[in-house]
Amino acid sequence: MGNHKKYWKSELELSSDSKLIDKLANNEFVEDLPVGNLLADENSLENSNASRRDFLKYLGFSTAAATLASCEGPVNKSIPYVVQPEQIRPGISNFYATSISDGFDFANVLVKTREGRPIKIEINNQSKDNSPNARVQASVLSMYDSSRIQGPTIDDQDVSWDQFNDNVKGQLDSMKESNKKVVLLTQTFASPTNELIIKKFLKKYPNVEHIVYDAISNSKALDAFEISYGVRALPTYNFENANVIVSLSADFLGDWQGGGFSKGYAKTRVPKNGKMSKHFQLEANMSLSGANADNRIPLKPSLQNKALLKIYDYISGENSGVSLDVDLDKKLKSISNSLLKSNGKGVFITGIDDVGAQLIALKINHLIKSNVINVQKLNYTSLGDDKKVSKLVKELSNNNIDGLIMVGVNPSYTFPNSEQFNESLKSLDLSVSFSMNNTETAKLSKWVAATPHYLESWGDVEIKSGNYSLVQPTIKPLFDTAQFQDVLLNWSGSSNSFYDELKSNWNKNVLNGLSWNQALHDGVFYQNSNSKKLSFPYTFPNVNEFVNGLKSTVFDDFELTLYSKTSMGNGQQANNPWLQEMPDPITRVSWDNYMTVSKSDAQNLGLKNINDSNGALNSNFAKISISGKSLKVPVIIQPGQAKGSVGLSLGYGRTSGVKKELQTGVNAFDLYNNFTNVQNVTIESVNETHEFACVQLHNTLMGRGDIIKETTLEIFNTKKSSEWNYVPSVSLNHIETLVTSPDVDIWDEFDRSVGHHFNLSIDLNGCTGCGACVISCHAENNVPVVGKTEVRKSRDMHWLRIDRYYSSAETFSGDNTTKDNISGLSDSLSVFGEMENPSENPQVAFQPVMCQHCNHAPCETVCPVAATSHGRQGQNHMAYNRCVGTRYCANNCPYKVRRFNWFLYNNNNEFDFNMNDDLGKMVLNPDVVVRSRGVMEKCSMCIQKTQKTILDAKLERREIKDGEFQTACSSACETGAIVFGDINDEDSKVLELKEDDRMYHLLESVGTKPNVVYQVKVRNT
Amino acid sequence: MSSHYEAPIRKPLVTGNKSYHDVSNDIAAAIEGKANKQWWIVFSIALAAFLWGVGCMIYTISTGIGVWGLNKTVGWAWDITNFVWWIGIGHAGTLISAVLLLFRQKWRMAINRSAEAMTIFSVIQAGLFPIIHMGRPWLAYWVLPIPNAYGSLWVNFNSPLLWDVFAISTYLSVSLVFWWTGLLPDFAMIRDRAVKPFQKKIYSLVSFGWTGRAKDWQRFEEVSLVLAGLATPLVLSVHTIVSFDFATSVIPGWHTTIFPPYFVAGAIFSGFAMVNTLLIIMRKVSNLENYITVQHIELMNIVIMITGSIVGTAYITELFIAWYSGVEYEQYAFLNRATGPYWWAYWAMMTCNVFSPQLMWIKKLRTSILFSFFISIVVNIGMWFERFVIIVTSLHRDYLPSSWTMFSPTFVDVGIFVGTIGFFFVLFLLYSRTFPVIAQAEVKTILKTSGDNYKKNRDKK
Repeated sequence: MGNHKKYWKSELELSSDSKLIDKLANNEFVEDLPVGNLLADENSLENSNASRRDFLKYLGFSTAAATLASCEGPVNKSIPYVVQPEQIRPGISNFYATSISDGFDFANVLVKTREGRPIKIEINNQSKDNSPNARVQASVLSMYDSSRIQGPTIDDQDVSWDQFNDNVKGQLDSMKESNKKVVLLTQTFASPTNELIIKKFLKKYPNVEHIVYDAISNSKALDAFEISYGVRALPTYNFENANVIVSLSADFLGDWQGGGFSKGYAKTRVPKNGKMSKHFQLEANMSLSGANADNRIPLKPSLQNKALLKIYDYISGENSGVSLDVDLDKKLKSISNSLLKSNGKGVFITGIDDVGAQLIALKINHLIKSNVINVQKLNYTSLGDDKKVSKLVKELSNNNIDGLIMVGVNPSYTFPNSEQFNESLKSLDLSVSFSMNNTETAKLSKWVAATPHYLESWGDVEIKSGNYSLVQPTIKPLFDTAQFQDVLLNWSGSSNSFYDELKSNWNKNVLNGLSWNQALHDGVFYQNSNSKKLSFPYTFPNVNEFVNGLKSTVFDDFELTLYSKTSMGNGQQANNPWLQEMPDPITRVSWDNYMTVSKSDAQNLGLKNINDSNGALNSNFAKISISGKSLKVPVIIQPGQAKGSVGLSLGYGRTSGVKKELQTGVNAFDLYNNFTNVQNVTIESVNETHEFACVQLHNTLMGRGDIIKETTLEIFNTKKSSEWNYVPSVSLNHIETLVTSPDVDIWDEFDRSVGHHFNLSIDLNGCTGCGACVISCHAENNVPVVGKTEVRKSRDMHWLRIDRYYSSAETFSGDNTTKDNISGLSDSLSVFGEMENPSENPQVAFQPVMCQHCNHAPCETVCPVAATSHGRQGQNHMAYNRCVGTRYCANNCPYKVRRFNWFLYNNNNEFDFNMNDDLGKMVLNPDVVVRSRGVMEKCSMCIQKTQKTILDAKLERREIKDGEFQTACSSACETGAIVFGDINDEDSKVLELKEDDRMYHLLESVGTKPNVVYQVKVRNT
Repeated sequence: MSSHYEAPIRKPLVTGNKSYHDVSNDIAAAIEGKANKQWWIVFSIALAAFLWGVGCMIYTISTGIGVWGLNKTVGWAWDITNFVWWIGIGHAGTLISAVLLLFRQKWRMAINRSAEAMTIFSVIQAGLFPIIHMGRPWLAYWVLPIPNAYGSLWVNFNSPLLWDVFAISTYLSVSLVFWWTGLLPDFAMIRDRAVKPFQKKIYSLVSFGWTGRAKDWQRFEEVSLVLAGLATPLVLSVHTIVSFDFATSVIPGWHTTIFPPYFVAGAIFSGFAMVNTLLIIMRKVSNLENYITVQHIELMNIVIMITGSIVGTAYITELFIAWYSGVEYEQYAFLNRATGPYWWAYWAMMTCNVFSPQLMWIKKLRTSILFSFFISIVVNIGMWFERFVIIVTSLHRDYLPSSWTMFSPTFVDVGIFVGTIGFFFVLFLLYSRTFPVIAQAEVKTILKTSGDNYKKNRDKK
């Protein structure tokens, strides 16, 4: 807008020819500055007040001011919204329900977005299916991976999607005409709409065959179920109904049959009315399930087969003629008896990759009338067929196949004979790879279709029959990507978008007329199960024909069991620094896979674990050989590993599409022959040193029973809590006084009855050690990734860690007895030395430890600048800006939960992880400050979350309900082992837990009065 | 002076037939003469070490504390070990100048100047560590209670680290004043002898216009006495407060009520050892054998023996109390010290600090210059290990076994320590060429009572 107003300065301006006005208009200064006069006349110069000093002062000031003014501040370019989106308000997070289905992990999730960026994965409370595990929690970071493929390519040349589609279509059409065979090799989708779309595609191109391939196969279990019940799927298990759980080599708390069983399992593990389930685990590797078992029997795979037959014999009354040693036989008999007596509340599961074994397991469950296994409700998350895949491999090598379209799979990495496959792949007429990263397979494919991350995609998934969930984008695709469904529709000649197809399919076949928007809002939709009652022919085959097969499995050397690690799964997210840095729950090694071996075998083979001078763990290598192939892997001596067996995790050794620092471990898929997880191998030691990054270097509890208090169910039910939850006492005027008494407190207690007072309860019975909380905390609190060399120096930054202890004796109570029986100095010298070594088959205990938020915090008194101090609500605060970094607080912390920023971990090329990367930084939580070098940091009890809750309630003028207060760990804990809340709220769950008989404080005798409480672990032994 | 008579049974403190003039000549020789080749060689080595240390410090401050070997469990190691070690060494100076003055121990006069110089130089080294060990040393001034515009931000008076700030700064300033007061008549002597105008100018400046009037001497005596009275509690307080860094914590092996006396005894022990180390060399190279006699060294050896025994008793008491307390963490901490992964450090400490000074019971050994030098080095090493043992072995295995780990120093850790040794010797070597290294004015006061010629003459009568 122009301004036509004229401001008059004087009436003289009215006359246009006034000289004065002209003069004024031309001269900035009304009068001449008297510079010339001043300088010319010596007298006036001398008389003036401005001395030489003044002159120099003014000169100095002007120079400095000019210099300062010419310095440019850092310019941060930001682009404002042209149109302000309605939903996005700065500072307010939006949540969207969606699901992950990457072929290995299937889960319903809630995605937290801030300013349009997804930054955190949460549990969707509406879901009845799988909750996000550690990998799913971390998956949000995989979206902000700068090494993603940013658009479609043909022969490594960037092309447009139209070019790409036309090119492939042309190729497909010509192949159709010449009737050349094409295979569509996909992951398991468990998606009804994908199925329709693929059907459409196959109809257009009848020369295409669809094969489903799971990198880690469940094919044998599927075969067995198909034989027994006529449907190719997996049964579901309701572990919350279980009283007796017998798992033969099935790591059901890990990734067995897609996982997701921990929630139900944990429900039976917390003693209620004096009852809890009893869990037997028979396995070769020490798995997460084995670590949680009440009774764990290490068995190498060949013995597992025999044990299976023996249990079957005891339950069915048949005789397969297997002989085992008396001791084991007795144990198996008692296990079988408890299954028989379980009254439908028992379950028998096995992870043995053998159709016969799986059949027998199904039959056992049938015989004991198990209510835990549900053959009506099916699990669709793993549908790969080994036979078809093997056929594909054979046909490829015979050049019978001319085209391969791959979606969500990475066979160049996951096939056991990948070299052969790679050769064939290169020579195909059509090789299309749908991929997010430049994987091993994508690298060799001619056509690479860049696909979006699941958080940028539409989709649906039926994890269990009748349990539908939707996948919706939470951000506009970051790159020029297209979903494979859209592309496939395009190739099929359809003009519909995938979204249209999805919506119409749901409206037609899923929703039964209910609201699409509601389903999208909830993310899940459950069909009334009665409406589609499945009827199965229960045709149990004669298992005898499989018995001989199982009996005659002969292993002559070592028996290798391949498994998937909690952090890495099948290796899809190898480029995710959070997962690489996440310590394995059992070995607590990060950034590596390794061969696990029992102590006695290690001794015989000359395999060693040695601690370096800074404590870091080293090992030599083992050469694992198997029919002409061999792998050189580092070694971890694993307590509980069955003698004669070794373990190795899949999912490591990725080399393509993964940053250099994140190319860790060795590829164990090379040994995954016949898609069977047990292999017969020979092992020799190689005398080279491997350097591990292990976050826990001492494995045993040293008889310190007050760190992890535990008892047996029998004692728990029959004795007073003071006997199994002993509170230490001190002498006050020669009277034994409990350390919890205010009389022995040297501090005056504050009045904490006003306002909120936060407590966190951790149930050691509910915690399975899965590590979802560790990643959740990492994501919520912008915890830096420090890399392998720094972790190796014991400088991991995790605010929340899950300590894992092995017993030195058979049991932890045995450890306590050993320690109590120490008499004399020489005895203590030798016994403590022995207690540093775990038993061959130890008990295992997990303990999540974060800042205990002590009411009498040792860290607070020692900080010279008061950078850490106590809050009204019970938190121990950390003012990063005030911290000068003396580290005194960390030294004086009895729990060693404080983490120091040894270096600058962001914007530093030495730490080239997500915080050194513009895209990777998108995942940062804007509510939590990124710490600078030289300051201490630690768990804040997610104060940004509690404050948000308080402020929201204040705005809405209402009281806060119990359960609204959450921390990242408590909200990520699907088993409910971590409960957070306000103990000033009388109805809160956490108050109930705080007053529970099982409650104890970690290191009560130090008198720190923590706001984190633990619940005594009860074992049903 | 109470009397000019000293019993013939007492050994003379000044030998070699010295007159007053000889004393002036001998003390001024080093300042007025030129440095010899050895001095330049040693100085160059010390300077190189110092510069190397400065490089390591710059590297630390610019890159992060991560260049040291510390980790999440062991948050202090060489840094605070060196800090306590240097502070401990700095203890002998005040003890010799203040406490021995109050007790009228005349043998102190030959050694107090250098002992105080050593104190000041080592407190400077010690003071470096609390600053550079900070993650953000550029904010080190935040530990001072400076009124500021940040609202209610104030230091935490509960923190022993803050007490350290006060203790060390007080100690440094009182020591400096005390030292300089003693230096005034000596500087004046150099000034009066100086022939080069520049030298004369400098020494007249630093001697604060000392004229040598009777009033000057009277005031000098009074101030010395007052300062001695002020400094005496500091001898006890400084290391007591340093020990509070550990004693007030909750870490087994740190949380120990015996620490204050134990640390004070240890400090005197190491301080005397360092005095021995320095003076045994200095008396040789500066031709001061007649002033710092075997008698002096023997007396210091006796102090070393006694404080060594006190320290030994403290070590054993700690072990006893750990057992007697019945606290399992405490018991394990001490068991681990002696037999755990750092057993070698513990036994190095025990050998150097407890066993080796006991050899001083043998008169032949404690009057042997070479042996005294050897033991003084051994004690210095032992006392470094004592602090290392207390800090590192307590931290590396504390309450939760899951956090147990080890510490291993990097070249930067070593470099900074070597650098402070270099810095110390740079200062000491410069001092030995520019300062009167013996309190000649004081020595002159005892020349006629304790000088061998005067004693002999008197005995002849």
